[in-house]
Amino acid sequence: MAQIEIRDVSKIFTVGDLQIRAVDDVSLGIEKGEFLSIVGHSGSGKTTFLSIIGGIMKPTSGRVLFEGKDISSLDDAGLSGYRNNTVGFMFQFASLLPILTAWENVLLPCLFGSGCDVNDKKRAEELLHLVGLGDKINAYPSQLSGGQQRRVAIARAFMNAPEVILADEPTGDLDEETEAEIMELFKKLNREQNVTFIFITHNLDLARQAQKQIRMTHGVIKEI
Amino acid sequence: MPAFTFLSFALRNLKRKPLRTAMLVFSIALLVSALVFILSFVRRVDSVIKVTSDRLGSDIIVVPAGSRGAAEDILLENKVKSFYMDMAVMDKLRHIKDIDALTGQTYLVSIVGQCCDVPETIVVAFNQDSDFIIKPWLVKKLGRKLGKGEAIVGSESAMNISVGLTEVDSVLFGNMFKMLGVLEKTGTGLDTAIFIDESNIGDILKSGKTILKPEQISIIFVRVKKGADPVAVAGKIEDSIIEVDAVARKDIGRNILDTLRDLNRIFIVTVAIASMLSIALVWAVFSAIANERAWEIGVIRAIGARQSHVSRFFLIEVLFIGCIGSILGILAGTAVSILLAKHFMLLKNVTADLGMIERLLIALISFVAGVGICIIGALSPIQRLKKMEPLLAIKGD
Ligand SMILES: Nc1ncnc2c1ncn2[C@@H]1O[C@H](COP(=O)(O)OP(=O)(O)O)[C@@H](O)[C@H]1O
Ligand SMILES: [Mg+2]
Repeated sequence: MAQIEIRDVSKIFTVGDLQIRAVDDVSLGIEKGEFLSIVGHSGSGKTTFLSIIGGIMKPTSGRVLFEGKDISSLDDAGLSGYRNNTVGFMFQFASLLPILTAWENVLLPCLFGSGCDVNDKKRAEELLHLVGLGDKINAYPSQLSGGQQRRVAIARAFMNAPEVILADEPTGDLDEETEAEIMELFKKLNREQNVTFIFITHNLDLARQAQKQIRMTHGVIKEI
Repeated sequence: MPAFTFLSFALRNLKRKPLRTAMLVFSIALLVSALVFILSFVRRVDSVIKVTSDRLGSDIIVVPAGSRGAAEDILLENKVKSFYMDMAVMDKLRHIKDIDALTGQTYLVSIVGQCCDVPETIVVAFNQDSDFIIKPWLVKKLGRKLGKGEAIVGSESAMNISVGLTEVDSVLFGNMFKMLGVLEKTGTGLDTAIFIDESNIGDILKSGKTILKPEQISIIFVRVKKGADPVAVAGKIEDSIIEVDAVARKDIGRNILDTLRDLNRIFIVTVAIASMLSIALVWAVFSAIANERAWEIGVIRAIGARQSHVSRFFLIEVLFIGCIGSILGILAGTAVSILLAKHFMLLKNVTADLGMIERLLIALISFVAGVGICIIGALSPIQRLKKMEPLLAIKGD
């Protein structure tokens, strides 16, 4: 069995009389350590699909199994644990808390896990160095550029050493050089630690660097 | 590096909008101070009435018709008033069934410069042979009877006359009196009075410094026989002696009590409205906070915060506002109740002050109310926030 099993997942949004099938009866297996890219027009359902896998949105129907366990059967503590430990989510949009420094934002996931110890604090610092923000540890989000904020969010996704990274256009507003560096980092972690990567991108060149590529159209997926 | 805990997180959130936080704290403080003041007020008046009727040692008081209120003013509130009836009432009372004992008192008003060298106060002339009202305290203090030309003062007026440790001489109604000492505090209106024996009245009348006429008396205290109903006896007294009012012990202070009850009702309604307003205010503020921070909550939920973590963040903020507001309110309310007590007619002369334990209890009740109101007001916005689906919260739906 695959690490992540997506079975007959649909998500329907109802806006007034209108029903939008953002995700339309999708089934897919993702193996541990797989490196998967998703492309598609805007509005095709990519963010919705990724969010369902990450347990931050419930599907209208269908199931997501992680290592055989249906994540929709988990209670609040179980599901929070899944989001906290198992997956690392990188949002398409700004997602840093303005009252926390870069370092504290990276540290945040451990606050909701087993609590932050000295090792966690060191790890958060190392992650910031890794994404090239060693000199911005105590900066607040408002003091960082959009690209820098995104890199902090990337570091945060790695904080609890997740088994799966879900990245929604992670390099969207990064310059090409940084984008390449981040991709190298992803590939390295994927190779060395067997972390599963699923990332959405607009950039077809980036998408092609993945082992497996998926195109999403009107909520339906097709392997390419 | 700064501490990174739930507490520091919540405190930093409070600092984001310091003015809003301060306004909320201020509102809670206002409410709690009103609560403290009102509870103190009600308790004070309540206790003074209870203490007075308990200590009076009399089942019925008999006063000139129409002077009931004045008598209560003296006994309960230390007001300075005088009223007189014919001493013959005493004899008429003796013919009424079920009366066990009687004693009369005459109230004289002292006025500086005119008759006396003590500030305005009530001078109580009483009959030491029949007395059962003053005696218990007098015996405790002096161990003997008051002689002619001797006086003893209530605990409150001691300050005015500056007796206490030493014996002082004072002129009362043109006669010299030796102030023997100070009675123990009783918590009744008589604490501000000066007591002399009835035998002095003749000399006082002779001096012409009072409006009192011969053969007059102010008040008669009545003790009924065992098993007799004071209310029934009082009714009988009023029926057979038309020139007097008779008030049974449990009716003493009734008028004041009724006024107080009305005040009480007004206060309760006021506090209820204020509490509701405060709840609405807290609700409005926390709804605004919930909307502002919905996406932040969505983010922390997405990276693993449980619903209980979200509640904890907000509860710390709510408790902080509630506790600081309540503590400030308790301090302000206690101060106001002590200050206003000096200017409030009903409380002005009420001697019974609240004990430490009573004050603490009032503080505790008000504290719980203040914090409770914050929690109640914030509950539904917090509940709504923590139940939101993380992604939808982030996208702001
Ligand atoms: N909360 C929502 N309510 C209504 N419609 C939504 C909501 N979220 C997304 N949609 C709709 O679902 C479709 C897929 O959205 P999304 O997953 O964000 O697409 P993508 O990430 O590929 O741009 C779009 O048509 C979008 O308008
Ligand atoms: Mg999207």
